[in-house]
Amino acid sequence: MNPVEGSTLTTVAVVMVAYLGVLLYIGWRAAKRTHGGEDFHLAGRSLGAWSAGISSTASSESGWVTLGAVGMTFTYGVSGLWYAPGCLLGYLVNLYLVAPRLRPLSADQGSVTLTDVITRRWGDPRNVLRVTATTIILICMMGYVAAQMTAAGKAFSSSLGFEGRSGYILGVVIGAVVIIFVTSLGGFRAVAWTDLFQGLLVAIALIALPLYAIARLGGFGALVQGLGAIDPNLLSAGGGRLGPALWGFIIGQLGIGLGYPGMPHVITRYMATRDDRQVQRLQVIAMFWGVAVFYGAGLVGLAGRVMLPGLADGEQALMALALQLVHPVLAGLLLAAVISAILSTVSSQLLVAASAVSYDVVEKTLGKASDDRRSLILGRWTVAVVGLLGILVALSEVRLVFWFVLFAWSGLGAAFAPLILLSLMRRGVNRHGALAAMLTGTGVTVAWKLGRDAASNPEIFARVWWITLLAAAAILILGQLARAFDTADRVAVVAAASLTVISWWVVQRWGLDNLYELVPAFFLAGFAALAVSAITPISVEEASK
Amino acid sequence: MEEYSLTLGAHLLLWVFPLVLVVLVIVEDLLDRLKPGPER
Repeated sequence: MNPVEGSTLTTVAVVMVAYLGVLLYIGWRAAKRTHGGEDFHLAGRSLGAWSAGISSTASSESGWVTLGAVGMTFTYGVSGLWYAPGCLLGYLVNLYLVAPRLRPLSADQGSVTLTDVITRRWGDPRNVLRVTATTIILICMMGYVAAQMTAAGKAFSSSLGFEGRSGYILGVVIGAVVIIFVTSLGGFRAVAWTDLFQGLLVAIALIALPLYAIARLGGFGALVQGLGAIDPNLLSAGGGRLGPALWGFIIGQLGIGLGYPGMPHVITRYMATRDDRQVQRLQVIAMFWGVAVFYGAGLVGLAGRVMLPGLADGEQALMALALQLVHPVLAGLLLAAVISAILSTVSSQLLVAASAVSYDVVEKTLGKASDDRRSLILGRWTVAVVGLLGILVALSEVRLVFWFVLFAWSGLGAAFAPLILLSLMRRGVNRHGALAAMLTGTGVTVAWKLGRDAASNPEIFARVWWITLLAAAAILILGQLARAFDTADRVAVVAAASLTVISWWVVQRWGLDNLYELVPAFFLAGFAALAVSAITPISVEEASK
Repeated sequence: MEEYSLTLGAHLLLWVFPLVLVVLVIVEDLLDRLKPGPER
């Protein structure tokens, strides 16, 4: 971005401080209404349509929507918009298939987390499902939290004019400390309320800015002429791609939506909704938010391409347009919207990671802190510890953690989305099938992702088959040592390992590297769930459900 | 000067799809509101 004038920077900084003040105030108000464990982890199942609806969408769309999505259309023109139908189809599945079924199911079960839903749905006498699900969630979420904190740090330091390494550290610490404080005090309720505030800010920014920018250009016709003059391919849905490259791109972009039903920080919003009427209202609110935000981001990118010909990084188009086009106070609000998109996701993921530790591991697996008051205190401390860990990782920039982030969306989506859909839509899956689905989804995601990028990771990709077999052997040995596995569980592990190795072989043999890894991983996980369930016996406790 | 325009696919992607989606969401909500009973 271009250097910003000092007076503009001061105004932007004042708006930022006010924005952080609003977050702290909301957290304090939420804390006053948080009295126990279920309050902390699920807002006492009391959310209305607006907070549940906007929170579910805002928490799923990290900084990606204000940075990455804008960069897509800036770079590829209209063809960069294929993510929008992909994400909106995911919203449709979540809002019209998952939400109306999951809310009553979780209320009947008394389940608090996604892991809880899975284990109570099929029974989990030896904690096999709970440990597996919690491990996958923790690995994906911790990487996510640290990566989002890094993004927030960069956004804060660039918008507040902090420079160098110390500026970056200050940016990370400011954003992270506010979010950790708000989340640990007010838990789920604070996260949902701050998401509502931040989600509305993002929506207003992504509706107002492109409309104003296009008006300044001279209307939509002028935008089209400007894009065509740069490159006529910017005006087509294929962007000049042909054949398998085109179809791989479109299927991959549409495939993003397959992940939504598996995102714990999204679907717990439906579990926390007050009643069925609120679920029906949130469907409309969330769909309108999605259409406005995805298409608004796309239009910002298109307008930016014409108005900012010298901009090297398209992902900075929103911030650059804000600083160039509008009054500094409004620019401050638009930059706050960019950071809002990031922080609303950080807080949600932080809470999911903390709930996985405090509720799923300490309370349920280890059987500690059964009292409601203790559960609240444990939850608060876990948020603080997990958050501080996130800050340390973000500051030390441990590469391994950021490597996990590459798999986070598709890993969570493939491990849980088919399972959640199958559990809500049909019978015919048992707990061994559920175990196979989680392991297959995770394994195939990693194998396929490495296969897609085989050129950059040739050595790791070549080792996938025996690393998979080693991982499967380790899981079998651990299960044996803990006396947790029966024969059907072993069948599930072997099936998952086999499908992972087969997918590795397929991507290597036929070079299907255009295909986004979530698509094969999602369908193979669903297949694993049904196939393993068909060949393994149903348990007595499952049969009685 | 050459005149540029969106291709048919770009029209569908850029405004026809979201418009149809919004109309369907509104229609579904209206139909839902017309349903009688406490389960609404």
